[in-house]
Amino acid sequence: MTERPLSGLDAVERGPLPSDPSAPAAPAPVEGQSDHPSVAALASRFGPAVQGHRLMAGDQTVVWIAPEKSLEILTWLKDDPAQQYDMMSDVTGVDYGSGRPIEVVYQMFSTVHKRALRLRCRLPLEALEIDSVAGLWHSANWLEREVYDLFGVTFKGHPDLRRILMPFDYAEGHPLRKDFPLRGRFSRAEQTRRALAQDVERFYGSQELAHGGPPQQVPARTEPEAEG
Amino acid sequence: MGLGDLLPGGGTQKSEGGLGMFGAGSPTFLTTKIDFVINWGRRNSLWPMPFGTACCAIEMMAAAASNFDLARFGMERMSFSPRQADVLICAGRVPYKLAPVLRRIWDQMPQPKWCVSMGACASSGGVFDVYSMVQGIDTIVPVDVYVPGCPPRPEGLIYGLMMIQEKIREESLSRHFEHRAEDPALVALAKANEAEIVGLTGPFGNSTQQEKLSGAPTDDNSA
Ligand code: SF4
Repeated sequence: MTERPLSGLDAVERGPLPSDPSAPAAPAPVEGQSDHPSVAALASRFGPAVQGHRLMAGDQTVVWIAPEKSLEILTWLKDDPAQQYDMMSDVTGVDYGSGRPIEVVYQMFSTVHKRALRLRCRLPLEALEIDSVAGLWHSANWLEREVYDLFGVTFKGHPDLRRILMPFDYAEGHPLRKDFPLRGRFSRAEQTRRALAQDVERFYGSQELAHGGPPQQVPARTEPEAEG
Repeated sequence: MGLGDLLPGGGTQKSEGGLGMFGAGSPTFLTTKIDFVINWGRRNSLWPMPFGTACCAIEMMAAAASNFDLARFGMERMSFSPRQADVLICAGRVPYKLAPVLRRIWDQMPQPKWCVSMGACASSGGVFDVYSMVQGIDTIVPVDVYVPGCPPRPEGLIYGLMMIQEKIREESLSRHFEHRAEDPALVALAKANEAEIVGLTGPFGNSTQQEKLSGAPTDDNSA
């Protein structure tokens, strides 16, 4: 019997493979100086908690930091007058597969100094925990919920750590992880059953429901005065 | 097209020009079948409930706009309230998170109602054979007409709606409950049962292979 070449569908059927360990690794810090002013300031202030830096995607300076110190470093970057990264543009995650650490990426911009900076924290798969920065930047609130939803990173101290994109009672795991099967873990019939059992109102938190104000009271019906 | 043209027997009461049956010299009454009149009314005043979730909805809007002008077929107004709608046009992909919403909108539409599944995504999941996508809305609501394409052109949608009109023409009031009644006990349940879901989505390589992939549910199902 001749071997049939694999079609795309077969590959899907076979399920997720462990990613190739020889695949290009996650970008790593490089030696040398950076001309980004925040890099030197970070290194002199936090020492070993700043693990290195690299210029990526043209002119984007990336700094690797230790996750235990992330809240301290980010608070300083926001409040120090020479830094003032007052805008958190994005918080996201990257899974490089093969059991490599998941990286949480912070993309910040200083509207005062007109500078952008990207921070990355490596989190080993067995300790996917990092401090939440939702208290520093409100924009981080939903972004961290998204990283939690899709990668399973727990943000300690987050005010409202719920799923945001997947249904609130999604039980199949965290879909953007490399070990997640493309079609989910349940059968289609089970997925349909679970989907229809959802309570649509529960997509909204109490805060969102409160935007419309308290529920309207229908005024009590008053009988018209009898004439004459 | 006046009622006179549509009468069984070809509207023989027609006089020169215009609507003969109400013109001078013609009788002021006509006889017909109640099925015929009701179906004539129903099929020429179908109000669509647009459930446009993705790119297909753009073509649905084009079909409603002046170049193609869905209003010519009695779809005078897109009814954004399901309570005033007759035909649900599901245009675009439906993720599982949206499935109960689609189901509720269908349940809110009054009888009689029909459903058009527009495009590859709504009909079968299309290229989105992934964890988050409903593999064909027929697993959730009953579908009358599938319009193929990615996206279907407005002509395609109009043809699909004309097929619904044709279907209505064939219906009979006396068999209404046979065709249309829904069991209230089934509301909020999948329209298709488990075997049907596997059968409907299997030919697209979807559901039957699922078991091979299925692992045990993960522990981290906290939410
Ligand atoms: S069938 Fe094509 S055009 Fe329609 S929603 Fe799917 S991807 Fe978009």
